[in-house]
Amino acid sequence: MVDLSPVYSEIIILLFAVGLPAVYYLTKSEKALSIVSLVGIIAAMIPLLIFYIDGSQPVVFAGGLLRLDAFAVAFKLVFLAVALYVTIASIRYVKGERHLAEYYSLILLATLGMMVVASSLDLITLFVGLELASLSSYALVGFRKADKRGIEAATKYLIIGALSSAISLYGISLIYGITGSTVFADIGTAIATASGMDPIILLAIGLLIAGFGFKVAIVPFHMWAPDVYEGAPTTITSLLASSSKKMGFVALFKIFLIGLIAIKADWDVVVAVIAVLTMTIGNLVAISQTNIKRMLAYSSIAQAGYILIVLPIGTEYALAGGIFHIITHAFMKGGAFIIVAALSTVALGESLADYKGLGKRSPFLAFSMGVLLLSLAGIPPLSGFASKFWLFSSAVDAAIAPEQSWVLWLAVFGVINSAISLYYYVRVIKYMYVESGPEEPIRVPNSMILAIAITVVATIVIGLFPSPILELCREAARAFFSGM
Amino acid sequence: MMLENVPILSLLILIPLIGSILVFALGNTRKAAASIALVFSAIPLALSIFLLLDFHIGAIGYQFIEKYTWIESYGIAYHLGVDGISVPMVFLTALLCFLAILFSWDVEHRTKEYMGLMLVLEVGVLGVFTALDYFLFYVFWEVVLIPMYFLIAIWGGPRRAYASIKFFIYTHVASLAMLITIMALYFEAKPILGYATFSIVDIASVSGNFNYLFQVGAFAALFFAFGVKMPVVPFHTWLPDAHVEAPTAGSVLLAGLLLKMGSYGIIRIALPTLPDGANALMPLMLAIAILSILYGSLVCLAQRDLKKMVAFSSISHMGIVLLGISTGSQLGIAAAVLQMFAHGLITAVLFMMCGVVQHKVGTREIPLLGGLAPKMPLAATFMTIGFLASLGLPGMIGFVAEFSVFIATFDAYAWILMLPIASVAITAGYYLWALQRTMFGPLTEKIDTSHAHDVNWYEAVPLAILAILIVFFGMFPGVVMDYITPSANIISAILGVG
Repeated sequence: MVDLSPVYSEIIILLFAVGLPAVYYLTKSEKALSIVSLVGIIAAMIPLLIFYIDGSQPVVFAGGLLRLDAFAVAFKLVFLAVALYVTIASIRYVKGERHLAEYYSLILLATLGMMVVASSLDLITLFVGLELASLSSYALVGFRKADKRGIEAATKYLIIGALSSAISLYGISLIYGITGSTVFADIGTAIATASGMDPIILLAIGLLIAGFGFKVAIVPFHMWAPDVYEGAPTTITSLLASSSKKMGFVALFKIFLIGLIAIKADWDVVVAVIAVLTMTIGNLVAISQTNIKRMLAYSSIAQAGYILIVLPIGTEYALAGGIFHIITHAFMKGGAFIIVAALSTVALGESLADYKGLGKRSPFLAFSMGVLLLSLAGIPPLSGFASKFWLFSSAVDAAIAPEQSWVLWLAVFGVINSAISLYYYVRVIKYMYVESGPEEPIRVPNSMILAIAITVVATIVIGLFPSPILELCREAARAFFSGM
Repeated sequence: MMLENVPILSLLILIPLIGSILVFALGNTRKAAASIALVFSAIPLALSIFLLLDFHIGAIGYQFIEKYTWIESYGIAYHLGVDGISVPMVFLTALLCFLAILFSWDVEHRTKEYMGLMLVLEVGVLGVFTALDYFLFYVFWEVVLIPMYFLIAIWGGPRRAYASIKFFIYTHVASLAMLITIMALYFEAKPILGYATFSIVDIASVSGNFNYLFQVGAFAALFFAFGVKMPVVPFHTWLPDAHVEAPTAGSVLLAGLLLKMGSYGIIRIALPTLPDGANALMPLMLAIAILSILYGSLVCLAQRDLKKMVAFSSISHMGIVLLGISTGSQLGIAAAVLQMFAHGLITAVLFMMCGVVQHKVGTREIPLLGGLAPKMPLAATFMTIGFLASLGLPGMIGFVAEFSVFIATFDAYAWILMLPIASVAITAGYYLWALQRTMFGPLTEKIDTSHAHDVNWYEAVPLAILAILIVFFGMFPGVVMDYITPSANIISAILGVG
């Protein structure tokens, strides 16, 4: 009998995802769907928490295709946490829509795909997980068939997604052709021991950057993101920004920091330039946005730029900082989108001007939005400050070594960009608290308040007491570099 | 009275925090909000007086230390402590916050948020003046920005939106320069210390050995970060906007406390941590100090708005602080701290008076005002005291502070003193001229003074307390200097200046 314990969470999610249509068939109750979904997500978290708290040794299984270690656990927990609050927020957001069983089921399947990516040890497994998550998201983006914007977004997302998959796949095939393997560790060894530099490998690197660059929306492959984020149902936007994109980073980490680490000198400057461009363009364009979803989308692009600096720095410390920022970003950005979703249930628009006077109309939503935005801007003592602090400090740390001293600029550009971003984040706060707007109070559904509260509490608590999460990130980074 | 076992510094920070939570929770009427705020700012004031009394003057090092691990793996601690330089600042903070809240007794627009934010501001500033861990210091430093942003943005003047964002972004950029430097200090100290720590004290104990160029670069970055906050020319442009638009109490705290955070940062962190860098950049600091002093006072001559004049005079007076620092000497540093303390008291009176004039007469335009003294004699008295104190009339604390700075400057740079000291005449000029044109002389007919009545009790009490302290400390500057001098001596010894 094969020991299935390392994949308990995946199995749980799969069973619940497949079982949801049956639940709906039996109960005909929307409420049952969401509750069963939530039970599934929480149940899937338990084996992971047990694994981490027990301090268990990494386990390789499925014939060396998957590995459960602290790195995988950290990401799986993030993906599940996002699925959790997105599901809670969805209870009212999609109320009365058709095909709700499929909606919740697709969220679980997308999460399952991401979890596979987090564990993957080779390019094929990674690709399979990535595609499972992507295909589920395409459907979710176009979930509201009557919504023209949603359909347009879904079409765009599907085409760009398919294109990027094809490009990555081509890059993967070149890597396989050169190294004779799809296993990250073997690729790394093959490249490290290869005598001389194969020009094909540069092509492969370019294709991989382009392919996965689309997935994580880094400049210049970011154009689709604002349109898709704007058009998608806002709960799904939250999912895309908070977890789907982070899955792309897992892929980038594994490919570049394990497979291609030996030839880091050939790609680090290019990736560093892309990182700086991504954060700068994302922030500058965000300033001119008048739609809050688009503004948050561009801010998300900028945040991807911050996380991307992990690659050229390439240290364990940097990876820990990157994971930490991914975790905090999942709550900050996800929460902000859920607030937008919550306000749309009371027919408040998505234009920034619609947020005028929100502080009076709904103190809770305005306060939560304020906290999340200030955290995104990196103002202490919120979690976004702590995570940016570690992320940027890793560049300063690496720059102490003379041959790496140029990476200091990544920290400098990072903090300059943080300052730029403050402008548009604070502008929303200004609309909410300083400008006067309509006066009538806003009441949003309790389930959404709960989802928002989860993200806000996480943002504040992680900011004040970062130690446990930080420890998890360090464990994850250590596991990432040690086992491969 | 022994308070050794009481975490008095934590209480100082915690009580306004609790107060702000209570105000937000319970302050539904104007009176409730203001009363809670007043009580919860009075307690820290009382505690700060206990702190003054219980402080062992002349003892080496930090006192009332509290240290708890916060983020263990990176050596971050909740680490508080005070020395002779922080203690007067803590007292000044508690005093000004209490008086500013009292002065704001009649704020009717969104009183709850106003009072709550004032208390949050107090938490941040007290934290800055007591933190001994870089991370904690930075957290408090940034916490200050948020309430001040809202105070300007919601209760400010007509151009408040512009001024508040400018203030926030300008000073945030400066903070980020500090943040990068903090990271650099942390990584540079780690291998020498053999352990990771963000402790300001621990890092300072080894940072003297850092590479010379590193020290110069890091000092320059810190000087920029703190200089913007002070502010020194050419990084001052956020200040007049922020001051003119801020509500009165906001201006009081901005000028009285937030500017001090800048000079405090230089004295507490930049000088003792990077002595080689400090010595290398002394001439630059001297030049910037003189530039700020002269520029600030000359620009004052041209101001039509009373409040803008006071704002620019702050640049000049903070320049005097920097002048003292730039000597690096025992007297210079001690005098700089005394000038910080003096400016905190005096500028509070000045901004309160600007608020009073605006409130009673409806304008602060100097050419429109005139002859207010007979209508509001008490206000005229306070304004005269404030202006005279600010221009450095002997017998008041401003004189002692400026005079000490000038002595130290002469000691260090001899005849260069000719330049900054010229500002004393200019300062006397603009203050006396402004006083003459606003309070004395014939009543102009350009303004409606029919509703102008004298200061209210909640305005008179803070003004009177400040006036008394200005004169008291002017007569007995030794009371404050005894606290400051031993700590200033330590810093000057680290710098290697006699």
